[in-house]
Amino acid sequence: MSRSYDRALTVFSPDGHLFQVEYALEAVRKGTCAVGVRGKDVVVLGVEKKSVLQLQDPRTVRKVVMLDDHICLAFAGLTADGRVLIDKARVECQSHRLTVEDPVTVEYITRHIATIQQKYTQSGGVRPFGISTLIVGFDPHSPRPRLYQTEPSGIYSEWKANAIGRSSKTVREFLEKNHKDDLSRDDAIKLTVKSLLEVVQTGAKNIEISVMESYGKVTSLDLAQIEAIVSDIEREKEAEAERKRSRLAATAAGQAAMSQRVAGSEAPV
Amino acid sequence: MEVSFAMTGKGYVLLAADTTAVHSIIKVKTDVDKIKELSPHLLMAYSGEPGDTVQFAEYVERNIRLYQIRHTYPLRPPSAASWIRRSLAESLRSRNPYSVNLLLGGYDTSTYTPHLYWMDYLGTLVEVPFAAHGYGSYFALSLLDRYHDPEATVEEGLAVLRRCLDEVSKRLVVSPGKYKVKIVDKDGIREVEL
Amino acid sequence: MARRYDSRTTIFSPEGRLYQIEYAMEAISHAGSVLGVLSKDGIVLAAEKKVTGKLLDLSGSNQGGYGGSGEKIFMLNSNVVAGVAGITADANSLVNYARQAAQRHLFTYNEDIPVEVLAQRLCDLKQGYTQYGGLRPFGVSLLYAGYDPHYNFQLYHSDPSGNYSGWKATCVGANSGTAQSLLKQEYKDDITMDGAIDLVLRVMSKTMDSTTLGSEKLEFATLTLDPETKQPKARIYRPAEIDALLQKQGLGKKEEDTEMKS
Repeated sequence: MSRSYDRALTVFSPDGHLFQVEYALEAVRKGTCAVGVRGKDVVVLGVEKKSVLQLQDPRTVRKVVMLDDHICLAFAGLTADGRVLIDKARVECQSHRLTVEDPVTVEYITRHIATIQQKYTQSGGVRPFGISTLIVGFDPHSPRPRLYQTEPSGIYSEWKANAIGRSSKTVREFLEKNHKDDLSRDDAIKLTVKSLLEVVQTGAKNIEISVMESYGKVTSLDLAQIEAIVSDIEREKEAEAERKRSRLAATAAGQAAMSQRVAGSEAPV
Repeated sequence: MEVSFAMTGKGYVLLAADTTAVHSIIKVKTDVDKIKELSPHLLMAYSGEPGDTVQFAEYVERNIRLYQIRHTYPLRPPSAASWIRRSLAESLRSRNPYSVNLLLGGYDTSTYTPHLYWMDYLGTLVEVPFAAHGYGSYFALSLLDRYHDPEATVEEGLAVLRRCLDEVSKRLVVSPGKYKVKIVDKDGIREVEL
Repeated sequence: MARRYDSRTTIFSPEGRLYQIEYAMEAISHAGSVLGVLSKDGIVLAAEKKVTGKLLDLSGSNQGGYGGSGEKIFMLNSNVVAGVAGITADANSLVNYARQAAQRHLFTYNEDIPVEVLAQRLCDLKQGYTQYGGLRPFGVSLLYAGYDPHYNFQLYHSDPSGNYSGWKATCVGANSGTAQSLLKQEYKDDITMDGAIDLVLRVMSKTMDSTTLGSEKLEFATLTLDPETKQPKARIYRPAEIDALLQKQGLGKKEEDTEMKS
C-alpha cells in the first residue's frame, strides 16, 4: 500500500536525506538568477530576465512582485509554484493588517512563507514548492532595510546580500568579495548589476532592477538606466584592465631600461 | 446625528461626512474621519451602528487592497460597488449582520467617468447623481434637486455642498459642527477645506 | 530505476524536473494545433480538428450551437473564447471550470471577468494538479482570446505546469514550432483584423497535415467589438461559414470537390 495516493512524498532516506527537498532545490538552481543587496538605507533586488520572445507580451512576464506596500519578493524556480505561494503571502499581508491594524514586518511574512514551504515537505501526498525566494522591504517605523531568503525546505535567513537560482554560488562568492556595509543607493544598485553580470552574458536587456528606498517607496529602473550602469561598469573594467596593462608595460619598460643600463655599464665609455 | 452627502460633477465626485463620534447623548469626539480611501480612485463614506461601521469598512478596505495587489490594477468603481453590496447582503442574512450605510464615490480610469453609489444597510445599491444618508438627507435632497448640476466645476459643486451644510446647521436640532470633504477625480483623491 | 520518478504522481526527479509535466506537454505536441493572432481591433483563433471520419455526425454542429462544434474552440464567457490542445476529456473539464469561474466573477463583481484573471484562475487549478498527491497534471494547453476594459484585446497561453503568458500571436499543438517561426516572420504590430484572418489561415494551411483546408478539419473563431454596443462579441464560425471564408481567401477546395461533397 506504499503506493497509495496519500503517502508522504517527502520521506527520510536511510542515510537521513529528504530527497524531494533536495531535488526541489535542483529545480531552484535551474531557475533564473535573482540577487538582493542591502545598502545603508536602501535595498535592491535584481533579477535575470529570460529574453522575452518577439511576440510575447512583456507585461505578463513578472519576476519581482509586490506583497504589500512595503515588501517586494523575487523568486527562482517553478513560476507556477511561485505564483501560488505569492498569492498566499499577499492574503496574509492584508489579513494581518485587518487583525492587528499594523502592516506585517518583513521577518513576519518571511516566516509565514517559510512555514508554508515547510508544511509542503511534511504533509501527505504533496511535493515541496520548487522555489526559493528573496524578500526585501522595510519594517513599519524603521529606517533599516531588510533582506531575507527562504528555501523549499522551509529554512529562512536574513542576509546583507545574497543570490538564488542559476549560478547563485558564483554570484554569492562575488558578493562576499565585494559587498561592504553601508553602501549608498548608487553603489548598491551598481553592485547588484555587477554581480548579475557575472551570470548574465547578454547585458542590460536581460536584467531587471527594483529599488526600495524607504517604507513603501519602490522604483524599478528602466532599460536606459540599467544600460547606463552596465556601460559604466564596463568602462571601469576597461580602465582597470588599461591600468593593469600600463602597469605591466611600465614594469616591463623598467626592466628593459634596467637591463639596458646594466648592458650599458658594460659597454666601453 | 450622523450626516453624509455626496454628488457628482464634471469629472469628479464629492463626498462629505460629519466628524462626530457619538455615544448616547454625548459627543465623544469631533475629528473622526468617516471617509475611507479604498483605492487610488475610490472613496467610501460610512455611517450607521458605530462598531459595525469601522469593522465593515476595514474589511472592505483590506479586500479591495488585496484585489489591487493581486491583479496590479484596482477594481473599477461599478465592480467594487457590486462586491461591497454582495458582502453587505450576505452579512444581512447571517447571524450577526452589519448595520452600515454607505456612499461610494469613484472615478473610472478606463472609461474616464465619475460614479456615485448609494447603499443602505439592507444591501440596496443604486447609482445616483447625488445622495445623502442620515437626517441631513431630509434637508439636502430637495436642495440638490434644485441646484445639482452634473456638469458643475469643483468650485460650483463645493458651493452647492455648502448650501446643504448650512441648511442642516440652520434647521436640524442636533446638527454636527464639523465635516470632512473629499474629492476623487482623474488625478486621484484629495481632501478639501470648506 | 527511472520509473521511480516518472510513473507515480508528480514529484521531483534528482535533476529537479517534474517528468509528469514534461510528458503532459509531450502529449500536447501531438495534438491538433491551435493558433491565435492579436490585432488592434480583434483576435482570431483557428484550430485543427483531429477527430474526423466519414460517419461522424456533425449535424449538431452544423447548427453552430453555443460554443462551436465542441472539440477545439469554446466560449468561456461572453468576452473570452478559448482554443484547447491536448487531451479532450481534460479540456472539457477545464472549460467547465472556466465557465463557472467566469460566472462566479460576474456574480460577485457584476462585470465580465478580466481575461488575465480567468487565465490565472485556471492556472492555479493546473498548478494544484502538479503539486498535490495522487493526481496527474492536466494534459491541456489553452489559448485564451479575450477582451476587457483594462488591457483591451488580449491573447494568453497556458500550459500543464500552470504557467501562462501573454502573446501577440502564438500557437500550440503539433507543428507549433513551424507555425511560431512563420508568425514571427509575418506578424506586424499594426496588423488589421482582415490581415490577422489572412495570416492565421495561411499559417494553418502550411502547418496542417492535409493539403486542402476544409470545415471538417478546421475550427475558426473571432472576437471583436460590436460596433453598436461596444461590447465584445465572439463569433465561432459554422462549418458552412468556414468553407465560405476559405473560398474567399482562395484556400478552399476546388469547386468540383464541394460539388461532390454535396
